[in-house]
Amino acid sequence: MKPLGLSFMPVSDTLRSALEQAMDVRASYGEIRAQQTASTTVTVRDGSVEALSQAVESGAAIRILLNGAWGFSSTNSLEKKGVIQAAKEACRMAAAASMAVREPARIAEVKTVTERVKVRVKTDPRSVDVSEKLRNLIDLNKSCFASDPRVRSVTVSYADLATDQTLVTSEGTILEQEKLFVWNYAWVTAKEDGHLTSARDEIGAHGYELFESNRPETVAQRVVGKALNQLRAKPAKGGTYPCVLGKNVVGVFAHEAVGHICEADLTLAGSAVQGMLGKRIAGEAVTIADSALLSEGFGAIKYDDEGVPGERTALIDRGVLVGLMHNRETAAKMSAKPTGNARAQDFRVPPLIRMRNTYFEPSDHSFEELLEGIDHGYYLESFRGGQANLDGTFTVGIQNAFEISRGELGLPVRNLGISGNTLATLREVEACGRGLELEYGRCGKGQFMFQSSGGPPVRVRKILVGGTD
Amino acid sequence: MTQPLEVCETALKTALRLGASEAEAAVLGGTAVSVDVERGQVKTSSRVTDVGLSVRAILQGRIGFAYSNRLTLQQAAQVAKAAAKAAQASVRDEKWSSLPDPGAIPSMEGTFDPAITRVTAEEMVEMVTAMADSAAQFDRRVLPAFGEASASTHQLAIVNSCGIEAEDAGTVFALSLGAMARSGSRVSPLCSEVELSRRFEPNPNRVGLEAARLAVSSLNAGPTEPGSFPVLFDQRALQALLGFTVVSSLRGDMVHRGRSAYAGKLGELIASEHLSLSDDGTLSGGLLSGRVDMEGVPKRRTPLIVRGELESFLYDNYWGRVGGRGSTGNAARGGGPLRSPGYATLPRIEPTNMVVEAGVLSEEELIEEVKNGYYVRDVQGAHQSNPESGEFSVVAVPAFRIVDGEVRHSVPGAMVVGNAYDLVRRIRALGKESRQVGFLVAPKVVFDDVRVVAA
Repeated sequence: MKPLGLSFMPVSDTLRSALEQAMDVRASYGEIRAQQTASTTVTVRDGSVEALSQAVESGAAIRILLNGAWGFSSTNSLEKKGVIQAAKEACRMAAAASMAVREPARIAEVKTVTERVKVRVKTDPRSVDVSEKLRNLIDLNKSCFASDPRVRSVTVSYADLATDQTLVTSEGTILEQEKLFVWNYAWVTAKEDGHLTSARDEIGAHGYELFESNRPETVAQRVVGKALNQLRAKPAKGGTYPCVLGKNVVGVFAHEAVGHICEADLTLAGSAVQGMLGKRIAGEAVTIADSALLSEGFGAIKYDDEGVPGERTALIDRGVLVGLMHNRETAAKMSAKPTGNARAQDFRVPPLIRMRNTYFEPSDHSFEELLEGIDHGYYLESFRGGQANLDGTFTVGIQNAFEISRGELGLPVRNLGISGNTLATLREVEACGRGLELEYGRCGKGQFMFQSSGGPPVRVRKILVGGTD
Repeated sequence: MTQPLEVCETALKTALRLGASEAEAAVLGGTAVSVDVERGQVKTSSRVTDVGLSVRAILQGRIGFAYSNRLTLQQAAQVAKAAAKAAQASVRDEKWSSLPDPGAIPSMEGTFDPAITRVTAEEMVEMVTAMADSAAQFDRRVLPAFGEASASTHQLAIVNSCGIEAEDAGTVFALSLGAMARSGSRVSPLCSEVELSRRFEPNPNRVGLEAARLAVSSLNAGPTEPGSFPVLFDQRALQALLGFTVVSSLRGDMVHRGRSAYAGKLGELIASEHLSLSDDGTLSGGLLSGRVDMEGVPKRRTPLIVRGELESFLYDNYWGRVGGRGSTGNAARGGGPLRSPGYATLPRIEPTNMVVEAGVLSEEELIEEVKNGYYVRDVQGAHQSNPESGEFSVVAVPAFRIVDGEVRHSVPGAMVVGNAYDLVRRIRALGKESRQVGFLVAPKVVFDDVRVVAA
């Protein structure tokens, strides 16, 4: 892919000198995060290629901390003059905000970094010809239709994003980081006897090798299988039942129900775990972490967008709440260490506390052991989406599930939601299975972010099933 | 700065010169000044301008797309070149007919308020402080967790090779506050109030008080009785539930791709006779009103459901031509799976202001009408609904139990389940006061026989 004549990144020297020139003398901290992103996106719907898009965009985000308040501005210019102008605007914004500050914001100290970080992948998506990407997507669309005559409509989307980012701070950090994402999405609609239903499949990786293990026919089989299962499925019963959450569902539970309330900005705002650090909030079986170190996950980062090293942050260790996810500001406020969770969608927005790879640690129970002794319950195999409120009310929409009857998998049930209160549900987690599998997804906390989540299958003593039967 | 229309013309000419049979160029985006509060105090003030150029180039049914966030004439030519190149690499779309033709553009009032372009960060700092303070002062158990004031201006300039040349601009001023209340070990959900307006008429105290009231009233929790009940839905809950189901099935692309529950049902009774629904892109003061849509097609009013009968679907240019009914001016840009800015995405069908005809009852009368049931202010998990089947299974939060025609207590964890296509057939009553939440302009609505599930 050729950039549109924008193939330069401003040298970090230019950014540093722009920051020095623009920064208000009263400011205690300033940063410029410059980016250039090249992307290819395409959607194929029912065999028709919706426009192929190839683009490059660039810009810089500037944050200034002045008298305990933040100012932010963003510019599409990477030239010194434009960056200085934007940085001055950020200073003016910070000065305006500082008029009303009651409790000044501070940021935790971190070591400054001077480094250039490359993402290691087998196949850089930029090295793959666009015709190959198109062919793969068209093949996937065809494979879905070829899988079964009940398939009525298929939408498949592909995107790759390659970002070069330079972060310079007034403290002296100069960090050049590459970010690579390859993402593929399929949505299949199936119809039988007037009954219409649908299923989704979402996969990702940092390199184009994603498609080595996800050939069009493999993905097609998987997603069409989910849709057909729903056609023969019956509605689930509504009420409280023992459930085994599949790997895919455990991840979204870890992310939505547990992760969000452990993001320190949300904890400070009064989330359900406020004041509970060091306390037991779950059974011994529960260990949950958010890690930047699982290299295959979407959340694998060497440094976050504040230049803080990524790490494995333990949230719950054998039932005890041991940590929260921090940026530099919440770390200072709570006398904790920044955990490398500050991430920004792009140069249009400031970084927020975001998850990376959030997961349940596996244990050693076999899948059969997890089903054992459940007289009537559900195995929740794959999800449609999830959402949580600060008070710990979570919901996960399930697209595929099976009845568990006398310790064995039974008939499929469809389209149900599970919900509950995170803390109450964590106390009901009885056992974790084997193997850690990551899910590739997108989270919207005001901004869009690629992240991963996962875990082994997990057995929960009781959970509210929003079935329609 | 180079004029947006000049940038568009340069891109259009370049694409046609490079062999495109048709082309379209649009400059769109805007500026937003915002101030946010966290935990009751001002945290960040920001100013962001994000305007870009997007170009569609069509070469014998092959469609190429490119964009840039740099608006020089030189860059315009580069983007056009990239779009033409992408078209060459793409595959012919057999259904492609052509770009839209020009139409008579309505005159619009009330979509642009110069006062919104002039409001300063300093004034907004005062506003959000007042908003957070009025929430905190309402009750000492309230924490104004997150809030924001934002003044945004958006613009569009668009030209195409069929003769469209249009410009539009608009403003929106927004205030929002999410508050929580805590009492001992009891925590309310995050309860929000949002005020959006095309004119500058902010009322920060009202927003703060509303959020605080809802949070405090949520603290008084009681048991959920499972079963089927009449349920009163607030506009926010309605917007979420209908948005992912009924609205999806009213989209022309869903209809023609066999993904809509309403395909082939024009003229049939698909909803209660109490329901009349239209899409109105020219609604005075509507948040999504404007002169033209994102393809330069004039916005208009389209009746969709008239007294329960299905009248029409929503179209952009592409699906309007495929369906043989023409565009209804419902092309939107922006968002999508990667939450991209408008100039970085292709047009797709979205409602503008979707207006539900109001009824005659006050809020008190609606609650009396329910008598024994629930009042759902918002729902969580609506995006997990199955748009094709209409099945939903959501948490009602905040939600309240109604007994003997009175709101008694909140019902944490209650779920509401069902099928949206059946639900709209069971409307018992509509309120007389409408309010816009997102695309939906509607009163509060009472539905019969709504299934409530509880732990």
